[in-house]
Amino acid sequence: MSNLTLSGKDILRFLSTHYEFVQSAFAAGKPHFMIDSDKFLRLIHDYNAKNESKISLYRLTSEVKLCRQLSTGEYKLNRNYIPFLEYLFNDFVLNLPETLKNRYQAVFNHFTALKTETSSFRIVLLTQEIINVVEDFLSDIEGQTQRLLRDTEALKVNVGNHSAFSIRIQRANFWIDEYIIPLNAILDKERADSIVNMIIQLQHYANENRLLSDSYELKLEYEKLYACAVNAKSELDKTLSKLTRELLPLLERIKSDSVILNGFYHFVENIDDPKAYIAQLPHLVRRTKSSVTSKAFAAEAEFYIDQFSYLTPEIMFSEAQEDIEWLPDAAYFKEQLIKEDGVKDFYKWCLTSLEEQTENITLSKFFTLSNLLLDEDLVIEYKDEKRYEIKLADATLLMPKIKVYAKLSK
Amino acid sequence: MQSYPSEHREIVSALVDGRFVIYPNPIFVSLKLQEEDYREFFRESYAYELVIDSEIAYLTSTEGTEKRTRDFVLFLSLLCRELDYSGKNFRDAIELGTFDMAETEQLLKQSSKWEILEKTSVANFDDFISTWHRKNVLFRAEGQFKFTKAVKIFFDFAVNVANAKLKEQEAV
Repeated sequence: MSNLTLSGKDILRFLSTHYEFVQSAFAAGKPHFMIDSDKFLRLIHDYNAKNESKISLYRLTSEVKLCRQLSTGEYKLNRNYIPFLEYLFNDFVLNLPETLKNRYQAVFNHFTALKTETSSFRIVLLTQEIINVVEDFLSDIEGQTQRLLRDTEALKVNVGNHSAFSIRIQRANFWIDEYIIPLNAILDKERADSIVNMIIQLQHYANENRLLSDSYELKLEYEKLYACAVNAKSELDKTLSKLTRELLPLLERIKSDSVILNGFYHFVENIDDPKAYIAQLPHLVRRTKSSVTSKAFAAEAEFYIDQFSYLTPEIMFSEAQEDIEWLPDAAYFKEQLIKEDGVKDFYKWCLTSLEEQTENITLSKFFTLSNLLLDEDLVIEYKDEKRYEIKLADATLLMPKIKVYAKLSK
Repeated sequence: MQSYPSEHREIVSALVDGRFVIYPNPIFVSLKLQEEDYREFFRESYAYELVIDSEIAYLTSTEGTEKRTRDFVLFLSLLCRELDYSGKNFRDAIELGTFDMAETEQLLKQSSKWEILEKTSVANFDDFISTWHRKNVLFRAEGQFKFTKAVKIFFDFAVNVANAKLKEQEAV
């Protein structure tokens, strides 16, 4: 027989027994934790069909009070359950940064009041309240960061069709603009109004007062506040590092990657219609083996050269000047020799005759004349063994004295 | 141009052959130092435009269309798509990873878009990879290949397409 009133243990037992149902109701209600009446009844019906242990609408709404029906007919999850279930399922709903700002405002107000408070009793109350708000803030921010990280990971691989690229870009943009940047501002210690800055001030204030306070009780309270501030500072540093060093670059990356995939998608879809993918493909040059000039230049050059094409080629020869040596006319000298009616010293006669005609008497000139000795019309007489010198331009000869005269028959 | 660097011939033949010149290749540095002179040189001599950024240089032509470039972008698009579908970080894979030739060909053949690819030069996969190896867009060795930094110009192209489409949708 069940008890008339439900204890905490009964509620935990219910959650444990019907864990899958609670999880599906939690998932179906996100993010506002409201579920349409039809949908909620169908969830109950489906769950009961599969499980031996049944649940009823009455038990849900009146006994464990997991939810209640609104006047509009929808079912709303009990607010007391939500943070616990979020923690249980490790599934946090993103709060707008405004919610976090409100917490900042609360800490700020309490801290300002604390600094001017003189009553020990009020000081204890205020320090406890500050610790509570800071703890809530830490728990919120931890949950939010986890949620963002998990969703970002999911976003990275969640693709099915081309619309997923656009969705990814939109989501990444939305998270960056609506969450990461405002969260970053809240946590930026360079900003005077950031929560981190206030936590630092809180830490200094608590540190001073935990040593200087009058009573032991107050010292203890400030000690707690100091510990809370030190812990909060270190937790927030970790969170900030996750946000700015991991999450933001990851989201930026997802965004830019999705843009690339989106571009490629449109390119492939319009592969036969280049106008439809709008942007121009890079016109890379093809490997060229031919001309080193552009077509325009080639055409201009051809036009220019054409103007001269009527001229027939003219071939010019340059003749080398040959230096031809003068040689004596043998016939002339033979005639002179015959006229002389006998020459006593033939070689001397040759030299003298040549000297009359030319200046530079060379061997070749001399021999041309001396070869008359071989002429059939002339007779040679040679008696003396003695020789004498004849100096020519290019040689010196030793010649005998020879007598020459024409044949008698002549 | 007043003076040519000692690598002038190498610079011109590489670029005119349709190859990408990529930092830290020493000829990239020479090219970058005389960027404006070379821009003019290629424009006047060949009617080509020299495109050069902090890491890569290449020539573009306004004459006609280059089907091979289209084929390469198609190949890259579908490779990225398949990598993304399999949950991998496609950009890291393309920019840093090494691809096995046979596995990559198989991956593309399994794609529903293979029917488009098989009508292009990608169908002859071995030759296709060799062609783009010559252009310095990828590096091929022992049955594997790796993209070079030149691949980023094709990513830029995709970004331009996406942005143009986005503007078009906004206008509607």
